[in-house]
Formats: sequence, C-alpha cells, structure tokens
Amino acid sequence: MDEKIRLKIRQVKKGDQSAFEDVVTFYQDKVYQICYRMVGNAYEAEDLAQEAFIRAYVNIHSFDDKRKFSTWLFRIATNLTIDRIRKKKPDYFLDAEVRGTDGLDMYSQLANENPLPEEELESLELQSYIQQQIMSLPTKYRSIIALRFVDERSLAEISEILNIPIGTVKTRIHRGREALRKKLRDV
Amino acid sequence: MSCNKEIIKLMHKYLDEELSITEEKKLRSHLQSCQGCQDHFRELTRTVALLKSSSNMQPSTSFTANVMSNLPKEKKHLSYIR
Repeated sequence: MDEKIRLKIRQVKKGDQSAFEDVVTFYQDKVYQICYRMVGNAYEAEDLAQEAFIRAYVNIHSFDDKRKFSTWLFRIATNLTIDRIRKKKPDYFLDAEVRGTDGLDMYSQLANENPLPEEELESLELQSYIQQQIMSLPTKYRSIIALRFVDERSLAEISEILNIPIGTVKTRIHRGREALRKKLRDV
Repeated sequence: MSCNKEIIKLMHKYLDEELSITEEKKLRSHLQSCQGCQDHFRELTRTVALLKSSSNMQPSTSFTANVMSNLPKEKKHLSYIR
C-alpha cells in the first residue's frame, strides 16, 4: 500500500489533483481519529482533519519522497490541532447543550438522525467516557496518546512527528497510561 | 497495591515492546508471585485495549469529497490568446 501512495504522491506533485483523492480516502480515518482524540469533538475533528489534508496538498512540494508520507501528514495534523487548542475560544462539545434547543444535546440529535442498536449506543457511551478521560489530560499527553493508540506508531516515529526527544515521548506515554489506568479501571 | 517502581517500569517497557529477554523473565516471575502487580498489569493492558477501540470514530461520508472541493484550483492553461 505504501508503494501505491508513493505513486499517487508523485502524480499529485506533477499536478494531477485527482490523484490526491485516493490519498485522502486512504488516510482520512486515521487523521480524523488522531484529531478527535486530541480535541474530543466530532465537528472540530472533522474540520481539523480536512484542513490538514488541504495543507498537505498545498505544501506537497516540501514533502521529501524518501520519507514516510504518514509521518509528514500526521505532523501537519497534530501541529494544526495543537495550534487550534492553544487559540481555543469557548467551545461546543458533544455533551454541551445546543443553543435554543431546551436541553437537547448533540448526542440526542445524532441519535435521532441515525438510530443505533442498543449495544452500539452502549459502546458509544463507553467511547464518550474514554474520550472524557483523555480530555482531562494536558494536550501534550493527548497528542502522544492519539498517535500511540489510534495508529500504534512506534515511539521513534512519535518523536519524529511531534519533534520531541524520544525520552520525553516515553515518559509521557508512561504517565499518560498510568493516569488513564486509574481513570478507566472501573469501566 | 503494587510492589515497586522498578516492576511498574518494566510493565511499561513491556507495553512499549522494549523489554529485553532478562527483563521479561524478571517481570514474568514477579507477576506470578505478586497479586498486586498482576492487578496493576491487568489494568494497564485493559486501558491500552480501551484506548485502541476507536472503531466508532469515523469522519463523515462526504469527507473526501469535501476536501477535494476545497483544494485550490488546478492551474489551467489559458484558453485564449490575446
């Protein structure tokens, strides 16, 4: 699959915009999930993930073909997300009330739109609980947790994506894992 | 309660796939004899499993189409000559 992506990137660099479509399709879930783990909000994660792909496209000529494309793409996505979190204004979260809907939250709206079987609802609740616990950690832990557990990136690669020393990556993973162990042990 | 920091460190190294064979033996034999550390270890591996369960997290079905329609336009050749 790496070879296929490599080929697509070469086509994009030559000016074939349509070749970028396969690149987006291939990486969209991962990029979205990484953003989601960091911001904890579906709308914002979607927005950030789209922006990340657009930036990757615009800057495609600065991507060195000899390197791994996903490392480069994830770096764009995490930088963008960290930036957004820094600048953050008061925000809409999934469990926040939607203005003017008298107590209806985003979840009830999503549920109406797309009814789910009970076990999926349960796991949606579980997912939302896990995400809440992740959100209680500082951003610098969230980015590492996102990269390590969404896509099982190696410590060395996380160090490269986030541009921080590998020792720091290790420490943060250990601390993050311990913190979440305590928060999730009763789930 | 768990035993000591060294054993916990080994657990994390295990989860990071960085244990040497000697360290792995040490961790294994300790876990066999210590209920507290066994619990700690189980909680850690379970936490990791929970964190990896992100199957519900998917972007909208129009994600790719939205990205493609928001890309800057391809440079078109001029279709007329002055």
